Amino acid sequence: MLSLIQVLTSGIAIGCVYGLVALSFVLIYKATETVSFMQGELLMVGAFAAVALNAGAGWPLWLAAATAVAGMALLGAMLERIVLRHAIGQPHLVAVLLTFGLGLIMRGGLTTVPAASHDIYRLPFADRVLQVGALALSFSHVLVIAATAALAVVLAVFFRHTRAGLALRACSENARVASLMGVPVEAMHTLAWALGAGLAAIAGVLLAPITFVHLNMGLIALKAFPAAVLGGLTSLPGALLGGVFLGVVEALAGLALPEGVKDVVPYAVLMLALFLFPDGLSSGWRGRR
Amino acid sequence: MPVFRAFVALVIALSALVAAAATPGVSDREIVLGSIQDLSGPAAMLGSPVRDGMLLRLEEANEAGGVHGRKLRMVLEDSGYDPKRGVLAARKLLDHDQVFAFLANFGTPVVMATMPLIVEAGRPHLFPFSPHESTYSPLHPLKFQIFAPYQRYMDAATRYMVQSRGYRRTCLLYQDDDYGLEVLKGVEAGLARVGQALVEKTSYKRGATDFSSQIARLRAADCDFVVLATVVRETIAAMSEARKTGWMVDMLVTASGYSAQTHELGGMAVDGLYAVSVLPHPYAAGANRALADWIKRYRARFGVDPNVWSAMGYSIADLFVRGARAAGRELTVARFVSALEHLETTRDFFGSPEYHFSGEDHLGNRYGRLAQIRDGRWVILTDYLK
Repeated sequence: MLSLIQVLTSGIAIGCVYGLVALSFVLIYKATETVSFMQGELLMVGAFAAVALNAGAGWPLWLAAATAVAGMALLGAMLERIVLRHAIGQPHLVAVLLTFGLGLIMRGGLTTVPAASHDIYRLPFADRVLQVGALALSFSHVLVIAATAALAVVLAVFFRHTRAGLALRACSENARVASLMGVPVEAMHTLAWALGAGLAAIAGVLLAPITFVHLNMGLIALKAFPAAVLGGLTSLPGALLGGVFLGVVEALAGLALPEGVKDVVPYAVLMLALFLFPDGLSSGWRGRR
Repeated sequence: MPVFRAFVALVIALSALVAAAATPGVSDREIVLGSIQDLSGPAAMLGSPVRDGMLLRLEEANEAGGVHGRKLRMVLEDSGYDPKRGVLAARKLLDHDQVFAFLANFGTPVVMATMPLIVEAGRPHLFPFSPHESTYSPLHPLKFQIFAPYQRYMDAATRYMVQSRGYRRTCLLYQDDDYGLEVLKGVEAGLARVGQALVEKTSYKRGATDFSSQIARLRAADCDFVVLATVVRETIAAMSEARKTGWMVDMLVTASGYSAQTHELGGMAVDGLYAVSVLPHPYAAGANRALADWIKRYRARFGVDPNVWSAMGYSIADLFVRGARAAGRELTVARFVSALEHLETTRDFFGSPEYHFSGEDHLGNRYGRLAQIRDGRWVILTDYLK
């Protein structure tokens, strides 16, 4: 029983990271109808930026992390302004390939920095273990779960109670009508990309104590994409829950099922979920429309 | 007779050209070498220091006047660990750059795809970073290797650990690919030779982030010794998970986990971890004078600290320089191969093994030694385990 709970908390923590990246996918997809293939790279660059500011420039951790996230949001906005805006009105594939290419550029750019390509880094989060009764929780896992929960609240408030959040939602419901109502659609696109990039960077910083900062940490986006699909690709809470669900299923399958099966389970679950709820799990519990 | 003189000069010049053309990559002034590295893919973190280590050795040889008056020039291509790009790179290096030999090509998938092209074109395929048997066996005149398959190292290391420490329940955590399966074979063979069997094994996919379920499973099997077929990050994650839950089991990782990064990032959680080492990590603290000097040169040249991969790259380039020197001024592939087959090295300032090739055996070294992390650095425990 103890090992079950132990494994469960790890699953939830990893699932939160999946969920955050999935959230960034969905945010961008909803607002701009583009599937961004550079979220993994944004995550990696964000984490490296935090490392560079913290270890390289000697800034305190919180400031380095906050600046890295803000910097990545700015980068996302700039990429939208300079590059991705030109893809509006073109076939969907153009924007998708653009994000793919931008991802390659970011990755290639980073590999030219010897310090980045030679080494793995860590952010100096405390690697303490919290002892709750017989349960041992690593501090980094608790941090990820707490930060994700806090972020979910902030995002919920943003989307429900702020002008920008409401405008963004209006855009993603129907850009044309929103535009007629006076919502600056182009600015909203910029905002969506900035938020998407910022979220990916937050995921990167949170992932840092678990997997460290290295060139391939962006691969986690491969898991986050199924999570986004599981959530229906258009539902923000769905994406987050999809991620947590995937993380938990993965962890429990490893414990309970025969050796080797666990790696198949997330994808089997995804197929099953798509089969039963083609619009994503979140539509399933809202009743099938 | 100026016309006759001009004619003689022309003949000499032409014959020199023909002679030069006879051995690709070798001209009067230089020897061109090729290397296919991973500088942007999943193993870029290893490929970059390998490249830098090789460059450092070649530049030093050139500063000392080159090899028999010829400068060494290396043409590097990046495969990104992708066999398709590897093949393109091999073609380019063969046809366009006309390299004399390939050094330290990186990654088993890339090596498997490119090695046939290279030896077919008659170029030596030297010391690839692929612990795959086909890089030296069956014997081929152009294939040389200094890294033995993981199976060999792990067989000997497991046996040594079980015999000297009396473990009863050995388990394995392995990466679910060729690398992991090869270690599995080695561990099973080693255990069989001391009359034991593997008690439990569990795997993970490359890029896995969480090892809680694997560790819980191994712990449930009551293992007293866990072999890790992991790379740096997974080694730390697995051992931290075990220590976090209070499981103080002994763990042994393959040479892939023998890296300074393991203790730099893992901290206290990985203290006591055993590993197989084929070349000691070049620590600046406590280094002998030659090593300290080398570290200083490396830092000055590349601006970063060297690691064990830099040392490997340097050693590989050094073996080439020794072979080419022994081959003499009239450098041809046949002469070079013959020189390499008679090459015997002694331990260098890194503490490397003695490399030794012969006409029947092109694998220069097949032994690893045991190391352990003590107080945040690797300490070598044994000599090379035969």
